[in-house]
Order: sequence, then C-alpha cells, then structure tokens
Amino acid sequence: MRTRNSTPCHERRAQALAVACALLIVGSIAPVAAEQSPREVVQSTSDQVLAVLAEKDLSKEARRDKVRTIVLRSVDFETLSRLVLARNWTRFSPAQQQEFMQEFQDHLAATYGRRLDDYRNEKVAIVGDRQEPNGDWTVRSKILRGGGSNDVEVDYRMRKSNGEWKVIDFIIEEISLVANFRSQFQDIVASGGPEKLLQLLKEKTAAGQEFKS
Amino acid sequence: MRTEDSMRYRLLSTLLITAALSGHPAVAEETPGSPRPTSPIPAYGAAPQTVNQTTQEYDPWMGFNRKIFWFNDQVDNYVLAPVATGWHTVAPQPMQNGIANFFSNLRFPVNLFNDLLQCKPVDGAKAVGRFTVNTVLGFGGFLDPASELGLKPHDEDFGQTLGVWGVPPGPYLVLPVLGASSVRDAPALAVDSAAAITPFFIDGWILVGARVVDVINTRAQFLKAVEDAKAASLDYYTFVRNAYLQRREALIQDRAEHVAPEGVPSYENEELYTVP
Repeated sequence: MRTRNSTPCHERRAQALAVACALLIVGSIAPVAAEQSPREVVQSTSDQVLAVLAEKDLSKEARRDKVRTIVLRSVDFETLSRLVLARNWTRFSPAQQQEFMQEFQDHLAATYGRRLDDYRNEKVAIVGDRQEPNGDWTVRSKILRGGGSNDVEVDYRMRKSNGEWKVIDFIIEEISLVANFRSQFQDIVASGGPEKLLQLLKEKTAAGQEFKS
Repeated sequence: MRTEDSMRYRLLSTLLITAALSGHPAVAEETPGSPRPTSPIPAYGAAPQTVNQTTQEYDPWMGFNRKIFWFNDQVDNYVLAPVATGWHTVAPQPMQNGIANFFSNLRFPVNLFNDLLQCKPVDGAKAVGRFTVNTVLGFGGFLDPASELGLKPHDEDFGQTLGVWGVPPGPYLVLPVLGASSVRDAPALAVDSAAAITPFFIDGWILVGARVVDVINTRAQFLKAVEDAKAASLDYYTFVRNAYLQRREALIQDRAEHVAPEGVPSYENEELYTVP
C-alpha cells in the first residue's frame, strides 16, 4: 500500500485504500468460504483456457467447445446482454430475450472462437486491477505477443452476482465490447425491432459457420 | 511526410476551421446520435439526455460518411489488402516489425511536439530518450531496445492534443482513403504533418516510396484484425465508428496500460454499466 506525497488527490486515494483495507479485514474475519477475488477469477480462467489450448491432440471443434464452457463459467452473460441492449432490453419479450442471449453467445463464440486456431503459445499477464466507482472491478491483462505494441491489452469488467465475481464486459485495446455492440444494435432495433436484430444475428452466425470449415 | 508548402497553408486554414467548429455551441451535446430516432420509447424520455461518448456517436453526416466508407472499403478490398497480404506472405515477421519500428521511430518529432503542447515534459523527455536509444542502439530505429529499458511507445498526435485541451470530437467524419476521423481529428492530421521534420536533402520520391511502404506494412499488421472485425460486426460501419471514438477517447485520457501502469484512471461511465 504505497502512499505518495500528500496532494489532495493522493490523500483521497490513501483514504480509499484505508477503507478498502478495513473492509478486507472485516471481510476476512467473517466466516465466508474462500471466495475468489476478481483478479483470481481472471487468473484461474485464463490458466484453464491456456491449459486447454496447450493440449495438442484436441480437434479444433473440441478445443473451441471446451474454451467456450470455461469462459462462460466466469461470464454473467445475462447482465452483459442487458447492458448491450440497454433500454431496448424491455422491448424484447422474455422469450426473445432468451433467444437473443443464445444467438448473441453463438455469434461471439463463432467469431472469437476462430482466433483460437491461431494460438501460438502466447501467455497472459495480469497487469493490474482497480475498483470502479459503482463497485465493479476492472482487471487488466495483456496477451503477450513479443512486447511493446504487439501485446494486446484486454481488460475485464467484473460484477458480483450470487457471491461470485463474473465478467460483464471485455475491453480490448480500450474498446468496450458492450459499448461497441450496443452502438451497432441500437440502430438495428430502432429501425427493425427485436425481430430484425435476432434475424441478423442468425444470418451472421450461419454465414460464419459456412466460413469456418 | 507530405509536401510541406501546401501544408503550411492548410495548417492555417484548418486551424481556423477547427476553431470555428469546436467553438460552435457543442454540437455533440443535444442532438441525438443519428438522424433516425434512436429511442422511440417515451418512458425513458425522462432520463437525462446526455450523449454518451462511447455508446452514442454524433454522426450527422452518416449518409455521406457511409458512401466514403464504402469507397474506402472497396479500395481496401481490391488494392490495399491484397498488396498487404502479399507483403505479409513474402516478408518475414521480424522484417515487418522492423519496418513498423523504423517508421514509428520517425514519428518522434510529432510525439515530442504534442507532448509539449499537452504539458507533459516527462513524456517529451521519454520520447527524446526513445528516439536516441532506438536510433543509436536499435540500428536506426529498426529495433526497439528502448521498450526493454522501460521507455514504452506512447504516440501522441495533434487530435489528442486538442482533446486534452477540451475540444470535443465533433461530428464523426470518414475521410477518403484515410478512414475514420472526426471534425477535430481530421484537420489535426495536417498539423502533425507540418510537425514531422523531413530533412530537405531527401528526395520527394523517396518520401512517397517510404510512405507507400509504411502504409502497406501497417496494413499487413492488421489483416486478421480487420477480418475479425468484419466477421464480428453486424454493421461494420457502426463497429468502426464506435471503435474509433472509444479508442480516441482512451488515448486522450492516456488510459492505455503502458501509459498508466497502475491503471488508476477509470472508465467514468456510469451509464454504460447500469442495467436498465
């Protein structure tokens, strides 16, 4: 816990740190089972993913499926979907909401899953974490690809749900996935309604499937 | 790197344009992000109508922008991407990295100029250090030993400087060939070109040639990224627009990890992370 010269700004930070420490102590006294911190969640998830990627005898399909399962375990996909649709969420019927979550998940799995095939023993380094004003945590990581600007920065926005820290946004090179898809989906839902968005997602995923093999 | 005589003139005129447009009672504040009504739900009309930098982009010229965007995409599909793919196949990766490093090293005057304008003397000193180390020890800039010494690359440009000074991006703008930009960032390109010191004894054609190599080599570094972006997006135009504006905002706030290692600055973005 470093504190620096006492400019007001740093004082505030020091105070925040003190409060955080106090909370941590109180939290550790409370008889809660070993709960993973946001950072630990990211660490263990990326360890598991890298372990799967290191298995050389897996087929591409099996590898993707395994990774998908591991990643989804630490993602609060409903919150992520709600954030992506924002106020449009309520324009979707409960059935459409479920359908959206499924389609969106498939879409992400198809597009980002493709990149798993290019895995070249890159390592992941967690480079920092911080609490956000609203209580969320951001865990910052880097995919190491030779240093400097070749490395890819990936931040995970985490929120506690049912006592567990889960990812609610992926920020790649300072570009939030939630914000980006929200922006794309807003216009689509505004002009064509939920049906249009669901239809486009399906078409896109179908096109991706063909492309894949 | 481009012809300088016209640059000086353009610099002046563009500064005037920027001043005029940015001084305009901020266009970005009240108008909705797109010409179409984005929110037909009256229930949320009561919510404060602040335009969020990352979620709703001010793009009043979308029709025009989309046409230019389409044109650029054609140029990319039929000329730039194929050439870059060829280059990527032929040139070994270390060579591509070396060339990228070389041109990045030459950006040093622009970085220094803007570091100073943004009152970041330490960053300016680091830029001088990087340039010196990489030029001397990095074989004229082809290697990047400075990064290993802790002098990480930190690109600044005049668009960022204007952002630091408080100039909003203004309307989104797609420039022919150059791509995503904004009313703030586009004219700033000219300022950076003027700030780039080009030795007088270097022949113009060499500069043009260097520029071509730089562009192709840079494009080659993003072959998969562009492919991914196209596969991932339902509307590639909006994807690029949003990504550009988010990225610019992050650069202006120096939020990138190598700039702020402790990751202190947070995304002051309550709206984005509030479940409605």
